[in-house]
Amino acid sequence: MPNVKTTGKKSSNTLVRDLVNVGIFAALYIVLAFLSSSVGYIPALIVFSTGSIALVTSIPLFLFFSKIERSILCCLIFCGFFGTAMFVMGQGILMLSISLLVGLLAGVALKVFGKGFAGLFSANIILCLMSSSMMLPLWTSTEEYLEYTRTMCDAGYVAKLAELSQSPWPLVAIYAFGILGAVVGGFIARRVMKKHFERIGLAK
Amino acid sequence: MKLDPRTKLFLAIVVNSVILSAPPVYSVLMFAVPAILLLFEKKWKFVLAFFSLYLAAVLGFEHLKTMDVGRVGTLAVSTMMIVSRMMPITIVLYYVMQTTKANEFMAGMSRMHVPNKVTIPLTVMIRFFPTVFDESRAIGNAMKMRGIRLFSLQTLKNPFAILEYRLIPLLVSITKIGDELSVAALTRALTPEAKRTCIVPIGFHVQDLVVFAYCIAVVVLFLLRPVS
Repeated sequence: MPNVKTTGKKSSNTLVRDLVNVGIFAALYIVLAFLSSSVGYIPALIVFSTGSIALVTSIPLFLFFSKIERSILCCLIFCGFFGTAMFVMGQGILMLSISLLVGLLAGVALKVFGKGFAGLFSANIILCLMSSSMMLPLWTSTEEYLEYTRTMCDAGYVAKLAELSQSPWPLVAIYAFGILGAVVGGFIARRVMKKHFERIGLAK
Repeated sequence: MKLDPRTKLFLAIVVNSVILSAPPVYSVLMFAVPAILLLFEKKWKFVLAFFSLYLAAVLGFEHLKTMDVGRVGTLAVSTMMIVSRMMPITIVLYYVMQTTKANEFMAGMSRMHVPNKVTIPLTVMIRFFPTVFDESRAIGNAMKMRGIRLFSLQTLKNPFAILEYRLIPLLVSITKIGDELSVAALTRALTPEAKRTCIVPIGFHVQDLVVFAYCIAVVVLFLLRPVS
């Protein structure tokens, strides 16, 4: 209707819907991230745990990104919640600031590239850097992190962590597997979106 | 006994941070608070079962953590660790979710001058954790009836199929619930701009003071502990 005049502002009704969606998907993301990161409790698979998180959470994230209208605000709150949850669980302020930065970047990527595959895919890859940073304190403040895990895990696991912290390569591998998981997960998510969500009208 | 939502939030944060960074003595001290509060809510059986399982896990973990127990042992010890660390957090969250209504929580947050843009998703998120588990359990049961299980030969052959069978129905159902929730919120005139009133009076009482004092005392004890 060309004659209808609007104020140019987005309606506050869609804002409430966006905020509700942020809450729902944040709850789902935290549950899925914790479940899939439990792979890392097997010492040999520590390095792969970030990949499994990115792989499993790609589908919900694609759906989340395609449903929100205010990308930057929603991504920022979403990542802020995850970072705060990690902060409360003893991860330190570094994780919180990384989360907020990642949220901002993902929101900007969605805004710039739009809601097409390119936008969703790039935002998904940026967001996987957040879950991949969970192990970062092992390298940035090794002693504190080992002391922290010593109160929680047995001697064998801590020894394995200490061995990993000796060289920077496992850190590179952690990020590489995280990004690989997000890339593979992104392609799976695109197929799933086409096959299921677009067909039943949940996503455009 | 009724606590202010802000006291509950403080309790949850203190329990989380103390339990994840302090030796077990302090976590047992902190575990006592939600347990006693739940006793006031007449949840005898729940508290008893939780407490005995928790004590068994803590004692088992303390006994085994310094030994090198091998690969299978590591799994068992890790499980004990997760149980002993996560149970107090679970019980606090259970208490908070059982006793706090969404409107009280929102009123408490608005008294702390937290913007509505943060409060609304936070309230939805807290309300949604149990829903995610409930829906997941229901979908699991439905899939079991069709012979699709998480740990089976069929799953091993095609691990991605499990994503399709479990995750997608979950996503569809919670998205539908979310849409209904936002419609319900809109009909109750929930907007981020307006300040809401609350029919339930909230405020600090003697019981809040006791919980606050106890939490601070445990934190101070923890901070002043003799370093070995």
